[in-house]
Amino acid sequence: MQVLNWFFRTKGDDVRTRAKDRMRLMLIHDRLELPPDRLASLEEELIAVVSRYFEIDRDTTRFDLQQYERRAALVANFPLLRSKS
Amino acid sequence: MSGRVIVVTSGKGGVGKTTATANIGVALASTGASVALVDMDIGLRNLDILMGLENRVVYNLVDVVEEKCKLRQALVKDKRLPSLCLLPAAQTRDKSAVNAEQMKKLSDELKTMFDYVLIDSPAGIESGFQNAIAGASEAVVICTPEMSAVRDADRVIGLLEARKEEIGQYRLIINRIRPQMVKSNDMMSVQDVLEILSVKLLGVVPEDDEVIVSTNKGEPLSGGENVRAGQAYRNIAQRLKGEEVPFLDLDSLNATWLSKVVSFFNPTARV
Repeated sequence: MQVLNWFFRTKGDDVRTRAKDRMRLMLIHDRLELPPDRLASLEEELIAVVSRYFEIDRDTTRFDLQQYERRAALVANFPLLRSKS
Repeated sequence: MSGRVIVVTSGKGGVGKTTATANIGVALASTGASVALVDMDIGLRNLDILMGLENRVVYNLVDVVEEKCKLRQALVKDKRLPSLCLLPAAQTRDKSAVNAEQMKKLSDELKTMFDYVLIDSPAGIESGFQNAIAGASEAVVICTPEMSAVRDADRVIGLLEARKEEIGQYRLIINRIRPQMVKSNDMMSVQDVLEILSVKLLGVVPEDDEVIVSTNKGEPLSGGENVRAGQAYRNIAQRLKGEEVPFLDLDSLNATWLSKVVSFFNPTARV
């Protein structure tokens, strides 16, 4: 079984990648002193604001924090379907 | 003479600060430089044991600060290297026995006597750490490739960055890396840790039983040329001196004959 696991293991689901991803996210929160629920409420509010002007595709909306050197950046992507009149 | 005051720190305990301080000190002194090792872990003194000097300690750092003795009286000469000295911590006092101002003054005095003053910081980010960095102009941050150690290293780096004026540069040593575990994707690699922390690398030290052996003997780097961790510390010492030294090829450390053949044809597989 172990051999099969090794054989079929795809890139990204190994322990090393998981540790790295968790680490990245944790440090972004640490550095900004960001409470865990803050991002979710910001996302909700932003979606509400954008939705006043546009119909957006909620399924492909992306909202996350990325690391640039020792700084973080908020990267939001709201695919627009049509403007609201 | 104006030497360099370098603090060795980590945030997390048990990642190898004291071992690194002892080994880098011996490696630097072996090149002929004069080196003072300062144990700032007041109340939990250990550097004397690693150096095998525990029986020669008479006075300590707190005695010097409190002017119970002269600085020269408290310095313990190394058994093997005449240019290497230890300033031991007090064992029966605590971190509040000295303050940052006193440490700054002590560091300033030491750097008139030695080329390198290596300060072994206690774990944590409280007063002991603040005192340890008070007189330093450079820092070496140690971490292992574990999540808790990386997180604590990040915190320390944040604190060092806030003191950019005093601490001109800080570099990272990744300790106890296990190449085999990285290879099987069970441990973060050197590259992973560097990406996460966005910091300059000073050295990579592989996990090595010989470190325990030389500690038990009280003779850092005693294993000779063939000890991997020892070679890593010698490289670190040379990099501190400003020399360009390529990083250890971790892949060859656990090499089988087959992987040696592969790396012969693909020499880029370095960290």
